[in-house]
Amino acid sequence: MDGGARMTIIHYLNQFFAGLGGEEAAGHEPVKLDGPRGPGRAFAAAGAAPDVTLACGDDHFAEHEPEVLATLLAWLEELRPHVLICGPSFGSGRYGYACGVLAREAGRRGVAVVAAMTPDSPGVMAAEGAAYIVPTGSSVASMKAVLPSMARLAARLAEGETLGGPEEEGYLPRGLRVMVRAEHTGARRAIDQLLDKLAGDVRTEVGSTGDRVPPVPAVSDLHTVRLALVTEAGCVPQGNPDRLPTRHANVWLRYSIADADSLGAGAYESVHAGFDTTAGNDDPNRLVPLDAARALERDGAFGVLHDSFYTTSGVDTPVATAAKFGQEIAAELREAKVGAVILTGT
Amino acid sequence: MESILADLEIATFAVDEVVEGTQTGWSDGRLTVSLPQLAVGAGESALAEATVEVVRPGDSVRISNVLDAVLPSVKADDAALTFPGVLGPASVTGASSFAMATSVAGAGRTHRFDGLAVLSTCDWLRAGYVGPEELPDSFVDMAGPGADRSPFGSTADVVIGYVPAEGAPVDEVDAAIRRETLRVSRELAATTLDVEPAHAATLPWPPTPADASLPAVVLMLQVASEGPLTDTFWQGEPLRELDPTEADPRAIIDGALTNGAYDWPAVRNVTAAYQGSALIRDLFAAHGQRLRFAGVIVAPGYLDSAEQKQRSAGAAAELAARLGADGVICTTFSSGNSHTDTMLTVQACEQRGIGTVALVCETNGGLTDHVPEANSLISTGNEDDLVEPWTPDRVIGGEGARSGEPVPTWAYLGACSQMGETTWTAVPA
Repeated sequence: MDGGARMTIIHYLNQFFAGLGGEEAAGHEPVKLDGPRGPGRAFAAAGAAPDVTLACGDDHFAEHEPEVLATLLAWLEELRPHVLICGPSFGSGRYGYACGVLAREAGRRGVAVVAAMTPDSPGVMAAEGAAYIVPTGSSVASMKAVLPSMARLAARLAEGETLGGPEEEGYLPRGLRVMVRAEHTGARRAIDQLLDKLAGDVRTEVGSTGDRVPPVPAVSDLHTVRLALVTEAGCVPQGNPDRLPTRHANVWLRYSIADADSLGAGAYESVHAGFDTTAGNDDPNRLVPLDAARALERDGAFGVLHDSFYTTSGVDTPVATAAKFGQEIAAELREAKVGAVILTGT
Repeated sequence: MESILADLEIATFAVDEVVEGTQTGWSDGRLTVSLPQLAVGAGESALAEATVEVVRPGDSVRISNVLDAVLPSVKADDAALTFPGVLGPASVTGASSFAMATSVAGAGRTHRFDGLAVLSTCDWLRAGYVGPEELPDSFVDMAGPGADRSPFGSTADVVIGYVPAEGAPVDEVDAAIRRETLRVSRELAATTLDVEPAHAATLPWPPTPADASLPAVVLMLQVASEGPLTDTFWQGEPLRELDPTEADPRAIIDGALTNGAYDWPAVRNVTAAYQGSALIRDLFAAHGQRLRFAGVIVAPGYLDSAEQKQRSAGAAAELAARLGADGVICTTFSSGNSHTDTMLTVQACEQRGIGTVALVCETNGGLTDHVPEANSLISTGNEDDLVEPWTPDRVIGGEGARSGEPVPTWAYLGACSQMGETTWTAVPA
């Protein structure tokens, strides 16, 4: 280095790889260390020398995630790195998760992030596409192969380069699909691909991304179950006070029905942009069947109705967003001991 | 199906320059447009006002509230026959509601400009016809980071801004807009009528017999018609209650099929996409060389119930089988709901032993629907891909229009055409 305007690189490690100790140091608080540590020394040789190493015990991260994140992000804010390198964490679940969460948060703040872990590490999901993750084996045996790949990506990102696709560059697909120009029009590609398929060469430009969710077992005792009403019909209080988007929704909402036996016309409406809402607005109980649910509750057909309903507008919602909504709503329902849901779709 | 008509001949005239002048006329690649002469909207009681201007690639202009794009065309033998059912008389005979073999569109010579489009714009929200966000933003950028998204960012465009007459019913306003847009397209192309074309392509239908060992390919063209502002028209009539029907490909590219559906712009099948259909042209070109072009089926999308979708997909596949298809190319109309129609059609064809390829546009995170049989898809892009913020010098056709904000690709007219009109695709990153 000639002392010019060189890029700042930060490296995140767990207690073990930072040399703070083994499992007995898993409760170690976050620390900020000068220069490269452990595997970081190999990055230096490849032109991606870490200026600072951040480290934290895996248990401590898991048990105090909000506080640890706040500390680490404050350091990042202060150091203003161009690139953050996390791991490699190999097959370690806790370490991988910590790397993924930090990668996600740093990525959202505009820092380019390189990580390395097994493709099934919880860190891959946690990163939410915010990092270039180099796939590794489950043990440190793959260290030697992985470090140069990480260093190469980090050095190029530090230079401000735009990376190519995952296959070409050797990182895991981030779940993003970017627009590029093909050599030929879609029409020409369709004809070529069809003729090839008829000749036995089957290929596709896009595959299924949906996951098949196996049904859960039937509710064992309806008479005691807490039942919730969930909808993607865009049902909201009249006037849409919380501004639920009519399409491409980026939020779901929760409204209390604790004191209601019915959703009155003029009190609720549908803002869904994907179907004719006239009938639903005339009787919002057809969007969220509160009237019928209360009647069945009185008859003892099920235990008790959950005191809120959950709503979004399901129209042109990206699958990933819809999946996230489902997970978030399900987590809240589980917390509230809800055992069954009626999901009204449109 | 026997054709009783002369072959269709498409003569194209490349537009190098569009200028405004006192006399509308054509000379050696230079189109002069007289705005007063066009008198747009003058005879339409459902329109309060219509303004016209010409924009060119490189202009710092965002066109907003774009409804449709039309390729200027005229029937050379009799200009009055252009755009049958809308401008000229509809030509319908036979049992089917759109018996294409005897349509006027699809025979004789048509003159058409290349490199020029007529764009219609109307701010339905401001005119009080729709609620906020009921219709999505619809843009063409002539410069800036989004200029390459819509194919109409790289053509010269005659942009017509329509203002509905107070209290006029929506279907009458829309009919007037579509009629005027097609009329202007015809008037512009009519300037070439006394010029002998340098280039003309002859499209015979049924095509000349070809080597029977070549695979027979059928195009399954999905359309939808759900009411005013979401209609597709055959010779001026909305295609509601449509059953899968064989269509004469020449009629489609000769102005019999027109658009009046103004939902998601990137995946909107604009009239220009029917007129210029890359699939129909490529299938004609490949006929006898790599395949046998065995027909076009116009099939409905956006059907309401699962039963209707299943039934229609089955009927479409059966018709393809009757046309002798070895393979079918399925296009998709707009996004969401209609992807299920596409997938069920793919499934129905494959179950009959007909190989398929379908064109679909992705949203972030993938496809709306998928069946295991859909093992050969063309991605026409990712609608949710964001384009960098841009502040144009001028916005025409509306106000605000996301100036200085990132714009999702879905807002750009025809960017992700699921008829395969552009070279855009999406890849993992």
